[in-house]
Amino acid sequence: MPLIRGKNSGASSESSGSPQAALDSPDADSRWMAARAFAGQADAVPALAAALAREPIPRVREAIMTALIRIGNPASIDVLLPYLRSQDAGVRAAAIEALQALPEAIAPFMPPLLSDGDSDVRLLATELARNMEASQATRLLCELIEHEPHPNVCAAAIDVLTEVGTLEALPTLERCAARFAATPFLPFAISVAMSRISGEKS
Amino acid sequence: MDDSKGGSSRAVHISSEQVQRFCEFLYRRTGMSFAESKRYFIDRRLEDRIAATGSSSFQEYFSLLRTDADQEIEHLINSFTVNETYFYREEHQLRCMTASLLDDIVSRREPGATLRIWSIPCSTGEEPYSIALWLMENWPQVDNYNIEIVGSDIDTRALRAAAEGIYGDRALMRLSRDIIGRYFTSVTGGNHQIDEGLRNSIEFTQANLIDTKDMMQYRDFDLIFCRNVLIYFDDASRRLAAENLYDCLRPGGYICLGHSESMSRISPLFRVSRFPDAIVYQRPEADHG
Repeated sequence: MPLIRGKNSGASSESSGSPQAALDSPDADSRWMAARAFAGQADAVPALAAALAREPIPRVREAIMTALIRIGNPASIDVLLPYLRSQDAGVRAAAIEALQALPEAIAPFMPPLLSDGDSDVRLLATELARNMEASQATRLLCELIEHEPHPNVCAAAIDVLTEVGTLEALPTLERCAARFAATPFLPFAISVAMSRISGEKS
Repeated sequence: MDDSKGGSSRAVHISSEQVQRFCEFLYRRTGMSFAESKRYFIDRRLEDRIAATGSSSFQEYFSLLRTDADQEIEHLINSFTVNETYFYREEHQLRCMTASLLDDIVSRREPGATLRIWSIPCSTGEEPYSIALWLMENWPQVDNYNIEIVGSDIDTRALRAAAEGIYGDRALMRLSRDIIGRYFTSVTGGNHQIDEGLRNSIEFTQANLIDTKDMMQYRDFDLIFCRNVLIYFDDASRRLAAENLYDCLRPGGYICLGHSESMSRISPLFRVSRFPDAIVYQRPEADHG
């Protein structure tokens, strides 16, 4: 018989040092394990924030972000939000994914994000609405669209509404189509969104 | 959600646009993709779930689904997948294991070394036993290595059934008469019990994929089969499970997910590896990131 039964499932290699100290370790595996050990510990947010700011290894950054998600309080969201402005696309994408995993906790942060002076931040913030409760996401995105001057930001919000929007979005979308009549791709995207939301052919 | 809640299964009209919206949601959430040609299949299941949840319209049901009230997404996925498991299910991954994955793994290992394979969740045992049978029947190098197979699940009742190894005809439908004759014995009720040697060769343990402390017991696997479970988790839990699985693998080790799952949508930790029989995910050998 070539198959053997293992004596145990594998020894644990849990570090005996403190996770706080390990977060500063020059060894990436130690930092990775430390970040994972902090998952869900609210008092670890400052240490995780400091670690995230200096962490160069994507795999370890990912574990730090997961630890912050597991905490999921306003303090951990405050840590993640500045990374929406990162010049590194990978970091921005990681921050969006992390924040999307906290659809309820992110809600109070959405109005300032959707009215941010930087159109890139407003555009990324629309993506955070995708996992939110439908009526809440619809309200937030419609408020944005009503006043948004940038067609790309509107397009991003419309893309999210196409999936999650409710019937309440239809008047806002009609007004948006009229406002951007000279930008043909937007009225087209809006017609698709409206047909999906209403369940009728455009 | 109580399936009796909705009473009658009266048909609710679902437009093409609504089906398209639903399919986009389902794809984004689960990776399951259905073409327009599957419309009858989608409509039937959607109508059943709308009735079962007591929803009066597609819109009402879709709203319930998006907020995952009463874990409706789980009920929906169950209705869209074939839950019944059986030996040699998703056989292409077993072929990939013996045609590609193990040869790659042992290219870095001396004969006589131990190879560790993990089936999580293993439910009532069909999968870990399939791995064992497939290896013995299809991998020429099987006698050159010590092979440990661990089957884990969160459900202790399933684990007890797995250790007992008794199956009905339907579970064995993909196995040849020859294999059944060589590895199973008939027991009462027309069922079949898998050979005692095979039962004793697999270690069954309880494990929770999203419990990091629990998962720390499990290390140094060369190959993990983790099929059709991540789709049930929310985003935060999926990330955690991916990190836990990463820790359980040796560098260079592989993980096989279910056909509707994609690690690329969950975590950047793994590298996509395409083989003739399957797409699998690899923990990088030298991890610089």
